[in-house]
Amino acid sequence: MARVELNLNLNRVEGDLEIAVVLEDGVVAEARTVGTLYRGFEQIMLGRAPRDGLVITPRVCGICGTAHLYASVLALEQIWQLPVPPNAVRIRNLCLIAEGIQNDLRQTFLFFTPDFCNPRYRDRPWFDELMARFEPFRGSVYRQTLAQSRQAVEIVAQFGGQWPHSSYMLPGGVTTPPDLRRILACRSVLDDIQRWYEQVIVGAGLDEWLALDNADAYFGWLETPAHADSALGLLSRSARSLGLHAMAAGTPHMLSFGAWCDPQQASGRLLPGGFYDGDSATLSSFDQQLVNEHVRHSWFRPYPGGRHPLNGETVPDFQPNSDRYTWAKAPRYGDKAVQTGPLAELMIGGDALIRSLHAAEGGNAWLRQFARVRRIGYELACARRMLDELSAAIGQPHILNPAKSAEIDGEGFGLIMAARGALGHWLKIKDGAIAQYQIVTPTAWNASPRDSNGLPGHWEQSLVGVAVQDPDDPIEIGHIIRSHDPCLVCTVHMLDSGKRLRFAP
Amino acid sequence: MMRHILCFGNPLHGDDGFGPAVYRRLAQLPLADGVRLFDAGTPGLAALALFQECCEAVVVDALAPAGQPGRLVELPPEAIPLEQAAAGHGYGVGYLLAALAVLPEPAPAVRIVAAEAAVIEPYRPGLSEPVAAAVERAVALLSIYFAPQHHE
Repeated sequence: MARVELNLNLNRVEGDLEIAVVLEDGVVAEARTVGTLYRGFEQIMLGRAPRDGLVITPRVCGICGTAHLYASVLALEQIWQLPVPPNAVRIRNLCLIAEGIQNDLRQTFLFFTPDFCNPRYRDRPWFDELMARFEPFRGSVYRQTLAQSRQAVEIVAQFGGQWPHSSYMLPGGVTTPPDLRRILACRSVLDDIQRWYEQVIVGAGLDEWLALDNADAYFGWLETPAHADSALGLLSRSARSLGLHAMAAGTPHMLSFGAWCDPQQASGRLLPGGFYDGDSATLSSFDQQLVNEHVRHSWFRPYPGGRHPLNGETVPDFQPNSDRYTWAKAPRYGDKAVQTGPLAELMIGGDALIRSLHAAEGGNAWLRQFARVRRIGYELACARRMLDELSAAIGQPHILNPAKSAEIDGEGFGLIMAARGALGHWLKIKDGAIAQYQIVTPTAWNASPRDSNGLPGHWEQSLVGVAVQDPDDPIEIGHIIRSHDPCLVCTVHMLDSGKRLRFAP
Repeated sequence: MMRHILCFGNPLHGDDGFGPAVYRRLAQLPLADGVRLFDAGTPGLAALALFQECCEAVVVDALAPAGQPGRLVELPPEAIPLEQAAAGHGYGVGYLLAALAVLPEPAPAVRIVAAEAAVIEPYRPGLSEPVAAAVERAVALLSIYFAPQHHE
């Protein structure tokens, strides 16, 4: 709605998320993430034809519909045991990457960096430079991001006809074959974005940037004009001068399903997934059996403990005036609250620079944002590889349509790395219809409420201990929440100050 | 060059459904050459693409209540302020118009046809009486974008 008079409290967004924090002497003592909107996609899916998920679930999100489509089709292919031709996997990856680049650019330069343009920072040495680059609608990088991110999703439109909410992946492949015109169009978009990323965002060629493999080398590089003056260099210098590299680690445990399916072997991943145990600093392979969702503090029909998604349920049961406070569930890996996103993806996937920075300083708000910008480099490199392989295999099949008899009953799951992290769809088909559908989104992991054991979720943990200078303008909390890439519009409610106040939803 | 008619709004939220209601009426009419009609919904930044490849974009939307429900107005884009909403999905038409103005290519001429809402209630589908009556007036105003109809 065009608001000539700004007197509405209806956002276009229905205000889906709030953060409630309790301050004690200016320091966050506890935090709760409150999902204020019941979605109900799991209930919508019940009783429908299995392929309906390919049309309905991409509507879960206006940013990451490709990831939902991908998870949905992988689950069906697992149940029906379908082979997928390599070209289909390449096209799926290419589109997922385009969506990821769109998200990573917008999140960083339209949502995260504008918070640094706050007048409170006007005496900082970097402020004028920062305004020239990052100020909304005026800063050069802000304006360029609007244009570049819009261009990125044209790649999805090449193969999916539209973005967002497209439905071009089908069990056994994709709807549109690669041809020279589409490949050239995608290459031209990617070339443009890569040139801009190299010259403006990181100040180095992609190979040189991705070869950077340790924290000391990075901090040395941050002193050189080429990188210091780049958009990422400026982001690093300003965020670190505000101490964001030493706050808001959240849970130390990380989860990645592995980025991008391997065209030669669709169950493999080009960037490996796994579970990083932050207590022992060890990596292990991911076991989907250990995923379970709690509703102890959520407005769903109660059940004890956690349930694996194949045995889960999402039955709304609003219980105001109780200690339940959100429409989000609490997914756990075993009994652990985990975080997921670009930091987890690159840590677990083996990026040497991210691992070294994490070893040196631990998890923190700056590193989460830094990892998001670094991931764009991986996305560009992988997209180029997909296009090269498609060029060499034009004419190979893009779909192997299954026989109707292949569409059997059964249960399965599709796991993918969406822009915001690990996304899973679990479903059961019985008598040819969907009997169970559970979606566990990245934001469900990250923004989860307390579980049955009272253990807070990742965002909730990350806010505790943060000092807030001005409760009327809690910009510190803004930086931290933005570094998490919140899926939902986020408003911050402050309960003040000096003495402890009880939280009441 | 094409001309685009973009109907914004959410039919789940009372008079915010004005744009979609106009779309449903217009979709029954034969378009003139060079005109494309879109049910733009509430897409945030994704709607930037709808302003591409056209020389004129007509935005159909609801206006915040201001005492004259159902009043149909034409506004210049400068009259639409930036929303106070948070970043992200909160971006509305005001944000889109501001973004359009700073993109590298020349922006299309933007014309805004809007009806003042009586009430915006979340999750209460259906237009108020005055806004429902404004739908036909908007359709008449936009008739130049449609081929003349031959009545038997």
